[in-house]
Amino acid sequence: MTPYAFLAEVLSEKYDVDPTSISPEATLTELGLDSLTVVELLFDVEDEFEIEIPEERATFETLAEAAALVEELLRAKGA
Amino acid sequence: MRGRRVFVTGLGFVSPHGEDPAAIFERLFLGESAIRTVRTGTPEMGADVLLASIDFEPGDRIGKADRLLMARAAQLAVVATRNALEDSGLMAHGRGPEEAAVYMGCGLGGAEILQESYRTYSARQSRRVRPTTIPLIMASGPASQVSMSFGIRGPAHTYSIACASSSVAIGEAFRSIRDGYIDVVLAGGAEAMLNDGSVAAWQGLGVLAKEHADGAGASCRPFDLERTGLVLGEGAATLILESEDRAMARGAHLLVEIVGFGASSDAHKLTEPSVDGQERAIRNALEDAGLTAEDVGYINVHATGTPTGDPVEIEAIKRAFGPAAQAVAISSTKSMHGHLVGASGALECGITALALDKRRIPPTANLTVADPACDLDCVPGVGRDAPDLEVALSNSFAFGGSNATLVLRRA
Repeated sequence: MTPYAFLAEVLSEKYDVDPTSISPEATLTELGLDSLTVVELLFDVEDEFEIEIPEERATFETLAEAAALVEELLRAKGA
Repeated sequence: MRGRRVFVTGLGFVSPHGEDPAAIFERLFLGESAIRTVRTGTPEMGADVLLASIDFEPGDRIGKADRLLMARAAQLAVVATRNALEDSGLMAHGRGPEEAAVYMGCGLGGAEILQESYRTYSARQSRRVRPTTIPLIMASGPASQVSMSFGIRGPAHTYSIACASSSVAIGEAFRSIRDGYIDVVLAGGAEAMLNDGSVAAWQGLGVLAKEHADGAGASCRPFDLERTGLVLGEGAATLILESEDRAMARGAHLLVEIVGFGASSDAHKLTEPSVDGQERAIRNALEDAGLTAEDVGYINVHATGTPTGDPVEIEAIKRAFGPAAQAVAISSTKSMHGHLVGASGALECGITALALDKRRIPPTANLTVADPACDLDCVPGVGRDAPDLEVALSNSFAFGGSNATLVLRRA
């Protein structure tokens, strides 16, 4: 599963976000997550892809930016 | 009688016998146990344990995103309170009365969340403990989540007094209304500590019942010669307490009146009860109500089914009641729904309210051969009609020596 597909799935399944509002341009704040649930979501992503997201890199706003960060960390892990 | 009169105008349960108060009461009246044998723990170190657990499914009553921020105890509290608000007629568009207060009892809080965090930290050797851990394990989680779920903006207080938690919550709610501080309180308790770490800790304490030859349902036997201990349960119960004026003004159904509350401490031992402390709680409650022992027709007792605890309560009742002890009917419904610890007092207060309303006394199940040290009328086996029943007590006595007695009267 791609990082974006995973984000879209977990947001709708676990965080009860309306699937029609999920898009690459949507920000997590727009989707109703607060500071606590954003960190919880990062844990889900880290568990799924077996990566660690450094705190200073968790500056993304949109889903596309979050997915790009995960892809970058996955490439670094594979390298 | 001092101050304003206080009535229970709504009742909500999530209990081992289900959620519908009338159906729960009927099953209790017939002596039906909800206790079963449950496999708990991990595959490598599991155990069969007697529990009164709940197959809880919040469904659409708690949104998925909201559930992420609620431990099991808080979820149980929210659903029980929803049931109570609907029963009272105070729910409007999913919201309760904004001006109300929430007084909730809870012993441990998010026990299963705490276990998971320690498992992550110790077993997995990882410091990556989920960020929701702290706000979920707080014992105040149930009260806070009830406030947030239903838009309740008065004080949201938590009473963590082990097995007496929710009796004290109801008692303090009663006092707050009686003394004019507030008009309506959502009062009750929740407990969910059947995670394997907590159950193992209870096993270590050596107070849990062994399975009886007649099966799991026969294993919790308060006052019986063959009693071996208590059975843990889980659940939540909420009572809507309202001032007389507020309840009458809106034409509310008055289920029962709360007329007294007594509390005391043993100042004795951590886990060993004392006759003196329990006697004082009962006396204080009757004095608070302006009633005498002769007025009381039924006591829903604390008795958990342990060999040492049950006779202490019998002796306390004898001393507090004098000759009237021989005339009062007493029963331990824990024989059927188990010991809900922090939720126990609220569930049993609710059952006592139903007993008064229906004038029917639930039994002590599994009481076949009474311990000579427990020689009061313990209503063995099945319930009985009590056409003259007017006043009842609900006792809750906690580890640490905290004692609480509530006095209820037919409305």
